[in-house]
Amino acid sequence: MQGDTLRRPVIAFGSAITRPEVYARSAEPGIRRAAEPESEVYAQPSNGSIFSNYNALLDRAARRDDIEALVLVHQDAEIVDADFCRTVRAALSDPAVGLVGCAGAIGVRSIAWWEASVTLASFINRYDEHGGGDLAAFSWGWDEAPAYARTGEVETLDGFVLVVSPWVVRNIRFDESLGEFHGYDLDFCLQVREAGRKVVTADFRAIHHRPLQMLPDPESWIAAHVAVAEKWDGRMPGIGAEPGSWRERALRAEAERDIARAMAHSKALELEARVRAARHAIAETRGSLSWRITAPFRRSARSPT
Amino acid sequence: MAHHRAVQALGAVADLIVFASAITDPAVYDAYARPGIRAAAEPSSEVLALEAVGNVSRSNNLLLDAAAGRDDLEALVLVEEHVELTDHQLCAKVRAALSDRDVAVVGWMGATGVSSIAWWAGRISCGPVVLAYEEYGGGELPACAWTTVQRPPHEVDSVDGRLIALSPWAARELRFDEHLSLPFGYDLDFCLQVREAGRKVVTADIGAVHHHSLELVREHALWVEAHIRMAEKWDGRMPAAATADTDWRARARRAEAERDAARTLAYSNASHVEARARPLERELAAMIESRSWRATAPLRRLNQLLGGRF
Repeated sequence: MQGDTLRRPVIAFGSAITRPEVYARSAEPGIRRAAEPESEVYAQPSNGSIFSNYNALLDRAARRDDIEALVLVHQDAEIVDADFCRTVRAALSDPAVGLVGCAGAIGVRSIAWWEASVTLASFINRYDEHGGGDLAAFSWGWDEAPAYARTGEVETLDGFVLVVSPWVVRNIRFDESLGEFHGYDLDFCLQVREAGRKVVTADFRAIHHRPLQMLPDPESWIAAHVAVAEKWDGRMPGIGAEPGSWRERALRAEAERDIARAMAHSKALELEARVRAARHAIAETRGSLSWRITAPFRRSARSPT
Repeated sequence: MAHHRAVQALGAVADLIVFASAITDPAVYDAYARPGIRAAAEPSSEVLALEAVGNVSRSNNLLLDAAAGRDDLEALVLVEEHVELTDHQLCAKVRAALSDRDVAVVGWMGATGVSSIAWWAGRISCGPVVLAYEEYGGGELPACAWTTVQRPPHEVDSVDGRLIALSPWAARELRFDEHLSLPFGYDLDFCLQVREAGRKVVTADIGAVHHHSLELVREHALWVEAHIRMAEKWDGRMPAAATADTDWRARARRAEAERDAARTLAYSNASHVEARARPLERELAAMIESRSWRATAPLRRLNQLLGGRF
C-alpha cells in the first residue's frame, strides 16, 4: 500500500514491568515525554529474568519492518529529554552503531563497568532514603562535567536506558544462560561488538529512581561477574583479564576485596560521625540564647505579608 | 630506653607486669599511651619506653628482648602510642586471662574466623573500646561500630596488635617476624605462631580509647601488599583459610567478583553518607548564615567573655 511505503519509521519503547507502580511513576512519564506521536510503547508485564523479558521485547519489535530503534527502559528509569528521539536518530545515523546509551565506559574488564574508565554518566540517582534526594552523576550537567566526559564509542553501556538499532533488534539476543539480571548489559554490548557493530553514548539524560544500595543481592551479582568473565575469557580483549597467574590474581584480589570492605566500614563510621557532628551543632545553635531571642524575627520574616 | 623502675633481683616471684611502648612520635605517646599506662599500671609495674626502630616487628622484638630476661615477669603489655588505657582493672584482667597456662596472648579486640590480616572480617570480640577521632570536629564512637561485636572474654584466632598482653612464655619463646617489613599483619602472624605452638589467643574485657582516624586503613597499597605477603607465608597453614578453594582459577574469579562487590558496597555507603549527612549540614549552614545569627554574633562574643553563662 502506498500509505505503508510512506510511513515514517518508528522508534518503539519497551519496558519489562514487575512493579506497575514503579513503572507508572518513573518510566511511563519519561516515555511519554520522549516518544513521538507514532511511537509504539510495549509496557510488558513481566516475571522471570530480564534476559528473557528483554528478548520478548526484541522479538516483538523485530516483527515490525518499520522499526527505527527500540528503546529498552528499566521500569525505574525516567528519560528527561523531550528531544530524545532526535538524539537517538542522530546517533543511529551511523549504520555501524548497534547500541546507544547515556552512560558508558572503556577499559571494561567485568560487569562492574563503573570500575573502568567511565566516559559518560548523564543520569541522576533519585533515592527515597533519608528523606529522599538526588545524586547527580558526573556528566548530568555539561557545565560541571570533568574533562574526560564525552560522547562517542565505548565498550559497554549502563543498561537502564538502552537504545537498540534495527540490525541488533533482528540479529542479537540477550543470553538467558547468564542468570536473572546482573551483567545482561555488558554481555549484550559484547555480543554487539563481537558482531562488528559499535556501542556508543549520546547526549541524552535520564533519572534512575532507585535505592542508594547498589547491590542488594551480592551473591547473584558475584555469580554473574564470574559467569560473564568465563564466557568472554579470550573472546574479547580485557574481559575477565588481569595480570599475573591465577594464584597471584587470587591473592591480590582477596587483598583488594578486604581493603574495599574496610573502606565500606570506614564510610559507615564517617556517616555516623558526620551526622552526630551536624546534629550536635544544630542542637547547640537552636539552644543558644541568641537563636531563641531572635525567633520572633525569623517567624515574622517567614509569615506572608 | 627509659626504665621507670629498678630491675628486681633474679629469682623473684613472677608478679611483674611490664608495660612497653615503641615510640615514633613522643608527643603522641605523652598524650595517649603514657597517661593510660600510668592509670592502669600497678605500683610495682615497670614501664619500658623506647624509640621505635625499623618496622613494627623489630621494635616489638626489642621490647620483648628487654622484658624476656626478667625472671619475675608475669606479663608484658605492648601498648601502641595511640592507645590510651582507661581500665584500672587491666592488670587484674590480664592476670585472670593468663591464669590459664595455655594462654599466651591477651588482646583488647580480636576475632574468630580470621583468614587474613583483615581480622575484623571475622566474628569480633571487643571490650569497651572507644574510637576517638578528630574528623568532623572530633568525637567518639564504639570501636568496630559498623557491626555487632561480642563482649570478651573469648578464645580467638587473632587479636589487634596495638594492645596485647603476652605471657612470659610468649615473651621469651616467640618473636615478631621482622621479614614482614610492612606495618600490617604482624599481629596476625604472631597469633598464628602462638596457635601453631599449641597455645591460646584470647580477648579480655579491657577498656581503652583508640585515638585514630575514622579510616580503618589509610595506606591502601601497602596494606594490600602486606595481605598478599601474609597469605603467601601462611598458605595452607592458616586455620580459617584451610578449607578455602585451592582451584586457583575459580578462587581468583570469585575473589575478583567479591572485590568489585565490596568496592560497590563502599560506593553505596559513601552515597548514604552524602544523602544522610548533607541535609543536616545544609540546615546548619542555613542557620549560621541567617541574618539573625549573624546579627547576634556580638552577643555570643560577649557571652564567651562572661564565661558562657547565658
